[in-house]
Amino acid sequence: MAQFLNTVFNGLSLSSIILLTSLGLAITFGLMRVINMAHGEFVMIGAYMTYLTQRIFMAALPGSLFSMYYFAAIPIAFVVTFLLGSFMEWAVISRLYGREIDSLLATCGISLVLQQAARHIFGAQGVNVTTPKFLSGGITIGGCTFSYNRLFIMLFVALILFAMWFVIYRSNFGKQMRAVMQNRPMAQCMGINSRKADNLTFGIGSGLAGLAGCSVALLGSIDAGVGQNYIVNSFMAVVLGGVGKLLGTVLGSSIIGFSGITAESFTSSSIAKAIVLLIIILFLQKRPQGLFTIRSRSLDE
Amino acid sequence: MPRLDKPVYRPVKIPRRPLIREKLPDSPKVNGDTLLKINHISVSFDGFYALTNVAVEVKRHVVHFFIGPNGAGKTTLLDIICAKTKPTAGTVTFYPNGRDFIRLTGMEEHAIVREGIGRKFQVPSVFVNLTVLDNMALSLKGHKGIWDSIFHRTAREEYERINTVLQNVGLADRKDIKAGSLAHGEKQWLEIAMQLVQQPELIMLDEPAAGMDKAETEKTGEILKEIKKECTVIVVEHDMEFVKQAADTVTVLHEGRVLMEGNIHDVLADKTVQAVYLGRGGER
Amino acid sequence: MNKFKKHGVNICFSLIVVGLAVMPLLLIGNVVDAPLIIFLGKCMAFSIVAIGLDLIWGHTGILSLGHGLYFALGGYGMAMYLKLQATHGAITEFMHTGGLTELPDVWKPFQSLPLTILLILVVPVLAAYMIGYFIFKNRVKGVYFSIISQALTWAVYSVFIALSPITNGNVGITEISSITGKIRGPTGQNNLIILFYGSLAILALVYALAVFLVKTKFGKLLIAIRDGENRTYFSGYCVSRYKTFVYVLSAAIAGIAGAVFVNFNGSITPSQMTIAGSINMVIWVAIGGRGTILGAVIGALLINLCEYNLSSGGMIEIWQYIVGGIFCITILFFKGGVVGLFTDQIPALMKKAKGGKSDAPIG
Repeated sequence: MAQFLNTVFNGLSLSSIILLTSLGLAITFGLMRVINMAHGEFVMIGAYMTYLTQRIFMAALPGSLFSMYYFAAIPIAFVVTFLLGSFMEWAVISRLYGREIDSLLATCGISLVLQQAARHIFGAQGVNVTTPKFLSGGITIGGCTFSYNRLFIMLFVALILFAMWFVIYRSNFGKQMRAVMQNRPMAQCMGINSRKADNLTFGIGSGLAGLAGCSVALLGSIDAGVGQNYIVNSFMAVVLGGVGKLLGTVLGSSIIGFSGITAESFTSSSIAKAIVLLIIILFLQKRPQGLFTIRSRSLDE
Repeated sequence: MPRLDKPVYRPVKIPRRPLIREKLPDSPKVNGDTLLKINHISVSFDGFYALTNVAVEVKRHVVHFFIGPNGAGKTTLLDIICAKTKPTAGTVTFYPNGRDFIRLTGMEEHAIVREGIGRKFQVPSVFVNLTVLDNMALSLKGHKGIWDSIFHRTAREEYERINTVLQNVGLADRKDIKAGSLAHGEKQWLEIAMQLVQQPELIMLDEPAAGMDKAETEKTGEILKEIKKECTVIVVEHDMEFVKQAADTVTVLHEGRVLMEGNIHDVLADKTVQAVYLGRGGER
Repeated sequence: MNKFKKHGVNICFSLIVVGLAVMPLLLIGNVVDAPLIIFLGKCMAFSIVAIGLDLIWGHTGILSLGHGLYFALGGYGMAMYLKLQATHGAITEFMHTGGLTELPDVWKPFQSLPLTILLILVVPVLAAYMIGYFIFKNRVKGVYFSIISQALTWAVYSVFIALSPITNGNVGITEISSITGKIRGPTGQNNLIILFYGSLAILALVYALAVFLVKTKFGKLLIAIRDGENRTYFSGYCVSRYKTFVYVLSAAIAGIAGAVFVNFNGSITPSQMTIAGSINMVIWVAIGGRGTILGAVIGALLINLCEYNLSSGGMIEIWQYIVGGIFCITILFFKGGVVGLFTDQIPALMKKAKGGKSDAPIG
């Protein structure tokens, strides 16, 4: 029983982490069809922002307030990555709409630059953030321990998911955003500023990566390559779930998370990762429509 | 153009996936009047029926028009014939001259093309980074395998055929420019020419007159009449003037069903057709 | 002028070959040192893999983010042979450490040179065929192919690391000489020169093969597939088979490149098959000029030579910025890369300067 509970908890935990890093992609890739290879670096930046906030709190504020740094870090990480993403959209990606592969490559280049910048500023050695007091430790139920920071991440994901759902499907902006993504010229004719919608959408997607970075910071040391550890799984989660569907991304992340944990109980963790990826790729062979199809009278999109 | 009266039988390489051939009891080598039989085709996209139980026979050497209001399922029907879309139910059978008949449903696109069915799409689709001549050379009949593409040299008579076809559509002097820099109308012509040079038995044109002016449309009509001597033509079109000019048979589709079929005068006189389609102002 | 235009690309390549061929003579004359020659050898390996990548990406429009995998497969094959040469067929130290007592079966074929050469070709070909066959048959294309190829590479990379008793994990196979013997130090000079010319010959052969293919109808078809995959299907071509073929071909070329690389490098590590390694290859092709075989060669040589020269000074720190920046700018504004600059942009500028009307854009 304890074994089972443990597996479920670990699966949930891993799924929520994958989901967290995938949500931003679900927007930039799923809605906008832009492959942002620098997404992992945005996660990394979010994590470093958390680290920086912690340093500032440590230096400038009394110790009793120290644990509060995390609540300050969340908006800071979001805003910084939001602005960066929005800048990147303006400077690079907006020039490459309709050239999917080129936007993939351009963001690849940006990712290289950002990684090097992080190495330059923070050094090649990883840094650690101190887990806030209220997140250290855990509760023990039925012989297995649920650590608070993992529980917190799950809660965090649930909150973000709800906020995203609200913004995309219930708010006026979300309506405009979806309109632009589905039919840009038509949306422009309806008086929507599609440039602005694109920019904001990409910014939000990037900001979500920053939020993911806040949680990633809790899980281990941060270095310039930390985002790379998550990016492959996140892409697979979005593709697996069917591009452009929020619920699909949730499902995709859970499948990857749970199957990863299950495979891990049989073999080593790196082999488990490989097996899961291979299974997903095989699955995608069976159902490539999971990768959405657009009906169009034009032969080659 | 070659193949004016006597269709030449050319061996067609059988694709790797085995063809689904229905054996007729007597298996006539010379088939009857019918070239293409659409047997009760239905297509549903997520529960929405784009076509419902459509049954049409296309005769040899005619220009067969499919008309109907938007969303009637005309393009979908062409998609079914050339396997771009899979039908939910029903089959399409092809009766090539001098060969056993072939069930097209379940075959792959390129295999269908190799059996002698060409298609021009609604939005002109040519290879924009290749010259007009290369576009045509790639469309030539036969030699579609990898080794052939590396080692086979295009023969002189094949180049001559390309020239003839290009002259017919008026692109002969534009042979060496990239297809991407052709005007919209010229791309349409090129795509039609690419179909002709394949020497198909059936050619399907999706709105060939779209974006053409009156003179060009008329010219297209004349060319269709010329083409039908060698092969059968299926056309999807909105321009009723064009239909009147060129059609032998007209099938009217409406909301995924066959509304009526007959020659152009019957169709124009029909009350229902007038009500659902012709009476709608814009599409006269 | 026209003649130059027609053959300019091949003349350029010949110049590069001649330039490279002179280098060993300079080594004998003590004008340059051996490390430079070794480095140029690696550059040739990179050029070879870039040619392969250009066939699949530049011409066919399929962006593979996993060519490092095939490069490494070829490299490991060569390295295993060379390692066994060094140990005279005995098991290696890292296998001892990993708890093995005898040579693993996968290592055994690499005791013989002909088998090794065969496997250097066959292993990448088989791997690429399996991947390509399924993926292309199911019409996975565009960025999805890129993502999947990336994920696959990552998966194989993890497996390679995990099988450390056989592959020596992160460290890779080190302390090996080359196929012609020891190339480092004063005693290895002759061996180095032979190896260098051999590799140059391979580069020239691969280049010739690629140029030949591109000139035929096959090459036109690749461009046709890039521009309009469905149109190509509806012209009667089995596109998936063509795609698989060119993917397999480029994988084989990458495998050869990996084998050449190992000879000069003296070691192979799994870092060659990381995503970053694969993206580097793409960067070479992009900057050199995609869609032109020459561009791939120029890109690989140019970037690596710059890196080599900068790495001696304090510039190594900012090298990543430069490469990343140039790469982005190339993608954004100079789709044709360096070669495109000379064939499109500069002539267009000259025309403009003359006041002549420029041609309609070709898109």
